Amino acid sequence: MSDQPRVQPEVAEDGVSRRSTGERFKRFAIRYGFLIVMAILMIVFGMVNPVFWNPANLFSILLGATVYGILALGVTFPLVIDGLDLSIGSVAALSVMISAYLMVVLEVNGFVTILIALFLGAFIGFINGVLIVRVKIPDLLATLGMMFLVQGLQLIPSGGRSIGRGAVLSGGVTARGQFADYFLFLGQGRIFGIVPTAVMIMIIVAILVFVTLSLTRWGRVFYAIGSNSEAARLVGAKVDQYRLAAYVVSGTIAALGGIVLAARVGRGDVQSGGTLLLDSIGSALIGFAVLGVRKPNPFGTIVGAVFISMLLNGLTMMNMPYYVQDFVKGVVLVSALAFTFGLSKAKA
Amino acid sequence: MSESRPVIEVRDIGKSFGATRALDGVSVEFYPGEILAMVGANGAGKSTLIKIICGYHADHEGTIVVGGQEVRFHSPKHAYDAGIATVHQIINQGVVQSMSVYENLTLAELLGPGQKPFYDKRMLRQRAAEVAATIGLSVDLDEPVSDLSQSERQMIAIARALASQPKLLILDEPTSSLSDKEADRLFEVLERLRKTGVSILYVSHRLHEISRIADRVVVIRDGKLAGVLSRPFEVKQVVTAMVGELPKHAHVASRGADRSGDQVQLELRDLVVEPGGPAVNLTVRKGEVLGLTGLIGAGKSELAQVLFGMRPPVSGEILINGRSVRPKSIGDAIRKGVFYVPEDRANNAVIPMFTVRQNMTAPFLRVFQRFGAIMNVSAEQQRAREMIRSMGVKCESEEAEMDSLSGGNQQKVIVARWLLEQYELVILDEPFQGVDIRSRHDIGVYLRENIADRAAIVIATDLDEVIEVADRIVVMNAGRIRGEQDYRNLDRDQLLHWVSEEPEEVTTEEVSV
Repeated sequence: MSDQPRVQPEVAEDGVSRRSTGERFKRFAIRYGFLIVMAILMIVFGMVNPVFWNPANLFSILLGATVYGILALGVTFPLVIDGLDLSIGSVAALSVMISAYLMVVLEVNGFVTILIALFLGAFIGFINGVLIVRVKIPDLLATLGMMFLVQGLQLIPSGGRSIGRGAVLSGGVTARGQFADYFLFLGQGRIFGIVPTAVMIMIIVAILVFVTLSLTRWGRVFYAIGSNSEAARLVGAKVDQYRLAAYVVSGTIAALGGIVLAARVGRGDVQSGGTLLLDSIGSALIGFAVLGVRKPNPFGTIVGAVFISMLLNGLTMMNMPYYVQDFVKGVVLVSALAFTFGLSKAKA
Repeated sequence: MSESRPVIEVRDIGKSFGATRALDGVSVEFYPGEILAMVGANGAGKSTLIKIICGYHADHEGTIVVGGQEVRFHSPKHAYDAGIATVHQIINQGVVQSMSVYENLTLAELLGPGQKPFYDKRMLRQRAAEVAATIGLSVDLDEPVSDLSQSERQMIAIARALASQPKLLILDEPTSSLSDKEADRLFEVLERLRKTGVSILYVSHRLHEISRIADRVVVIRDGKLAGVLSRPFEVKQVVTAMVGELPKHAHVASRGADRSGDQVQLELRDLVVEPGGPAVNLTVRKGEVLGLTGLIGAGKSELAQVLFGMRPPVSGEILINGRSVRPKSIGDAIRKGVFYVPEDRANNAVIPMFTVRQNMTAPFLRVFQRFGAIMNVSAEQQRAREMIRSMGVKCESEEAEMDSLSGGNQQKVIVARWLLEQYELVILDEPFQGVDIRSRHDIGVYLRENIADRAAIVIATDLDEVIEVADRIVVMNAGRIRGEQDYRNLDRDQLLHWVSEEPEEVTTEEVSV
């Protein structure tokens, strides 16, 4: 009996029912609905104001998404293992302040600065991971605590002041260093004079994250842990190590986002953390809806980040006042999630 | 007792979850002043029946009759109002730990609808004292529940359940986290309650408790009523109904060769699993399927956990193929060729977000990687398709989602996961739980046809399931190997005797082949 192939498509007796037209439409809507809405919006914006389609504007949309897009790609890792990292915004802000402090005040070489900033991000991620995996603090609380801690920490070296060239420090000393040119190139330059370097960095990070999560063995283990960690443990996965790694990756990538931000503004601005946390987590969550996968995924994350930026860009061209931005983001997030989860719940 | 009318009666209760038939045509009567015990293996359908009686599953088949009137519970509250109170297995879900004893005893007054926004503390304490008195509970009413012992918490949960003056009190595994002394106290309380005329449904897998306190025993097996026993009954009768009669002749392909001459594949030498526990000696020969049986708590799963590197042994040696191995972790056990299909598929095995293919290859991702760690999906698909074909998994394709498969087919996928690669020893822990007969047969046949010169251990409480696949049956009781039999010379009474002996009686090992 066992050597007979029994694989038949759409066997009704197994509960694998034949699909009706309505159901097929629903599947299509869940899968491509978000991308279609995005395409329609782009067309509408372009029709209302043709400037929207200018390559310069399209690049500025991408550029607007870079910093929180990079952070969102990083936080995708904790989301995949069914965790969350609320400290990414303040890690990025710390990275901005450390970069400025090292180069402008301590006159450290730019390359070393980048390494130190990245290391610091990784280290904070590691502490997050230890608190969550070893000390067993719930992820939300551990990273919320870390968020406050880092937010406070970044103000200490400069005594709460922003750091720019020639800034006067708390001791009355004037800072004499400056940002290295190649450091600034990361945020302000363009490759071949066309593609902004920051956009390029985001694309490279996106590709790396996509390859890791979607194509490698490691990615498979991350997803297995997020879906059923006990089952993952019982197939031999080193669950604790992977969970720890997710926070290290998230912290490191957040630090990279901070470096790009520092390079863009060219100074250590104490306000720079701002809305980074919510924008990036929002992007990653919108990513659940892209292609209707209902789980964190790098492609969705990047689309989510670009979508937010595009929407803000388009609406600003239509004279939307700046203060409704957050409201718009919230509406997008809630409707995207309601759409995906609401429609697919009926399936089960 | 049977002269009186039942307070509650369930008739022809049935319930399916997707393609799985959890309960089928079960009828039970509950009489006042009676302790009715319910037993059954894991996954037999006990909890489904309880949930139906307490109103969690409104969409069941069959009818529930309360006091002569047919009712259909549409919510747990509805069932509670009709006089059905339940104390659930996990005690700490039944009490609010951060609250004091009196607050816990008066939760209904505190949280119920139609209460005043401010509560009268003195009145509540008085009410709590009344409730506590009904079962002779003597703890400080102001003490926080988090400071109490397990049995005191249990008593609070029971007292609160009784405060509503239920017709039927359901106790789900009430002694599972109690010490013997605490359990004795519980039994005294139950004896007293019986006299007050409450009907008690007592669910437990500890058969010796049941023989002590129950008036009747209902046995559930594979979702069906396997028997109702009235006093006086013997533990052995209960076990028989629970684990099944021996089949006339279970015929499985290629079984039958005498393996006593074959070489030893697995040997356990004086392996001590629990501190202070007995030493286990066991051999499994090459090409042999060993059936390991015994009641819940007999030590079967604990032994498997040691072999799979989930807990270190206290002492003793594990030899595979003559070489001593001591798996330090699950990953280490897998590398050494010890594979384990855990019990409780939904919680321990299925990765719900993964496709059939991804579920199958989960332990052996390294086998399918190339260029570093990139997964070779087409190789995975090919291997998954082979397994789907040879095990007869019914699914749309290897890319189907797990939840589109029936329980039996999900189990085939999980077993296939561990037969994908070369094992030295594969352990299947309750592999037939919630699995239809067809899938059960397919899994058994595949296991046997592909065993070659390696070894397999199939753990199951149900004797039928073990006898169907095993060459040799080993019975565990109280952590000990109690005895073993070859499948060709099965002595049913002897097996049942070993399974059902009281733990204190289990002393020496008897072998009858």
